[in-house]
Amino acid sequence: MNSVDEILDFAIEREQAAADFYQDLAERASSAWMKDMLLSFSKEEMRHKGKLKSVKKGEKLLSSEQQVQDLKISDYLVDVEPAGDISLQDAMIVAMKREKAAYRLYSDLASKVDDPDVKDLFLGLAQEEAKHKLYFETQYDDQILRDN
Amino acid sequence: MSLKDLISPFYVWQRAFEKPYTQKHPIQERPGAPRYRGFHVNVLEECVGCGTCETICQNHAIDMVQVEGLEPKPGDSGLRPKFDYGRCCWCALCVDICTTRSLRMSNHYAWITEDPTDFNFIAGADNMSWNGEEYGYRRDDDYHLLRGERVKMEMLAPEEGLKSFEEVMKGYTEEQAKDEADRCVECGLCVATCPAHMSIPDYIKTVREGDYEKGLRILYETNPFSSTCGRICTHRCEEVCPVGHQGEPLAIRWLKRAIVDRVPRERYREILGDEVVENGKQVAIVGAGPGGLSAAYYLRRQGYGVTVFEAQARAGGMLRYGVPSYRLPDNQLDKDIEYIRSLGVEVRFNTCIGREVQFAELIDDYDAVFMAIGLNVPSSLRVKGEDHPRVLSGLQVLDDVASDKNPGVGKNVAVIGGGNVAMDAARVSRRMGANVTVLYRRRIADMPADPEEIHESQAEGCTFVTQAIPVEIKDADNPDQVTIVWGEAEMVADEKGGRPRPVLQEDRMHEETYDCIISAIGQGGSLDFIPGDYRDQIEFKWGKFVPGDYQQTALQKLFVGGDIANNTADAISAIEDGHHAARGIHKFLTGELVA
Repeated sequence: MNSVDEILDFAIEREQAAADFYQDLAERASSAWMKDMLLSFSKEEMRHKGKLKSVKKGEKLLSSEQQVQDLKISDYLVDVEPAGDISLQDAMIVAMKREKAAYRLYSDLASKVDDPDVKDLFLGLAQEEAKHKLYFETQYDDQILRDN
Repeated sequence: MSLKDLISPFYVWQRAFEKPYTQKHPIQERPGAPRYRGFHVNVLEECVGCGTCETICQNHAIDMVQVEGLEPKPGDSGLRPKFDYGRCCWCALCVDICTTRSLRMSNHYAWITEDPTDFNFIAGADNMSWNGEEYGYRRDDDYHLLRGERVKMEMLAPEEGLKSFEEVMKGYTEEQAKDEADRCVECGLCVATCPAHMSIPDYIKTVREGDYEKGLRILYETNPFSSTCGRICTHRCEEVCPVGHQGEPLAIRWLKRAIVDRVPRERYREILGDEVVENGKQVAIVGAGPGGLSAAYYLRRQGYGVTVFEAQARAGGMLRYGVPSYRLPDNQLDKDIEYIRSLGVEVRFNTCIGREVQFAELIDDYDAVFMAIGLNVPSSLRVKGEDHPRVLSGLQVLDDVASDKNPGVGKNVAVIGGGNVAMDAARVSRRMGANVTVLYRRRIADMPADPEEIHESQAEGCTFVTQAIPVEIKDADNPDQVTIVWGEAEMVADEKGGRPRPVLQEDRMHEETYDCIISAIGQGGSLDFIPGDYRDQIEFKWGKFVPGDYQQTALQKLFVGGDIANNTADAISAIEDGHHAARGIHKFLTGELVA
């Protein structure tokens, strides 16, 4: 995986996998209203996938130099096992942690390549994932930590 | 006739080309004195359109009018004063009374125009040469026609308050209430901001006049929890009171209480009139909190048979189980609830939907259903070690206290959170003899708790540690204690204009040990009782109902309101949701409202 197209295909597949993950979780959700919430997460991932497809066609990614705020909310939260009876709070923790893992993956890959263009692409993808994480962290801050 | 006489008239011509001694336009050369009461100037951005200038003008020279481009917003009517200079006598009372000091006078006094309608103008909005004039009359800083100081209410001293759960605020005497009511300028900005749109200036007037029966009737037009709201309302009305621009806003909440405190519950039926003409239709309400019982009251008055399903053993919802009696004594909450029930509202206690009664039964058996189930599931910290037995939930602590159980908080307590539940958990812990530290992720200014609650918590000796983020809970050396690890936070601005976000500083960690940690970081709702068959017809977002017009959902018979369907999560919003839903249900059942 060293051409720009290959890397983008990999990233697109990951977004599709994330969308499938939430779709699957939604189908197993025992709570009726959580199903909607998880489907909305799935749609969010499909939106990310759409963004990457546009990048493949020439649209620009976030600049690797453009730093996205890290609220660090998910860093000290316990890991959650995604299950059918998942709560809103846990679903959001899963989402935050998945985005964080994706950010770390792309950051690690960037550190392992020498080609400056490829490195820049990985870093751009990492920033994109950081942006997704910030979205979920902000929602967690507003919806779950309402009184905090 | 001499020759001199003949030519003397022509001598004047020698003056024709000299500089005249008189001035052609003398007033252009003579500016008004620096504090002259000349033409009016209004700083549009500072004016809130309260209309006090219009009210005080003895010549009816001022009309409040709309200004293009200015929209009403909380605390601003969007109207601005228009002057009629055919009537104005330049007395400057309007300037002296102006609540924001936006209205001033320039030192300009000459205005020549051929069109008499020009002399009607909107100060500050119409383009006048004196707009922005430096000189002219302004009200002095120390000159006030309005009284800026609020009449103080007697309250228990903090050290006395800590000895019991006795109500802290003692209420106004009749004389104090009239004194405070006298400060109202009757602008009505508060009405627009109150979620229930209570007729605030009208009921304040009844306090001034000592007509408490009329006051009670006005209160009940929009709020059947007036005794409760007279004590614990979030009083957003006071935040927009224009008197607050130059002093303290009217104590609107306390004035509401002043009315209810003077009318015994036994006289409610006689004063409010409770004839109910049955219309034969039945409505089910889920939740006997402020939202549910507000809907019950207004529906019952319209003749509906109302059955309220309540999971707990007593009515009141969060007001009963989440607000301690030093803020809201049980008998005052009961005063509101008993009157509603006395109209024939049936409450089935210990009845949980999905357990004793199924959701589908409600939909099938009743003409309409109003659901106001509140938020009663505490959010958890989800940090490592949170399942430690010395970590308690704020709601559980308050529930225990309300149910006369000892929550066993110990002598040294940390409360995590900055909302009213956190403040109340802290204050009840103080009353049980504990030293209390409140850990909050943000700053005091960002706390969602009422400012009075924060102030009283501090006065009662709670210590506040702000910008503190819990990251781990650990066993302490003493098995009856617990250790919390927390890190300091730096605040960063939210890019989208939301509240500032705290960011953990991992190099600044702390460890403290307490007898217990009370977690009060927020609550969610439980909607699991709604079967899948109905799910697709109802819209949810972030764990809450999304109501349509009149609180109706797409499942036509179902109306929703209160904390589980709004983002304000306070009693007065729930009360309005209930009232609004009652109007909607009536329209729906009389064929006026079709989803």
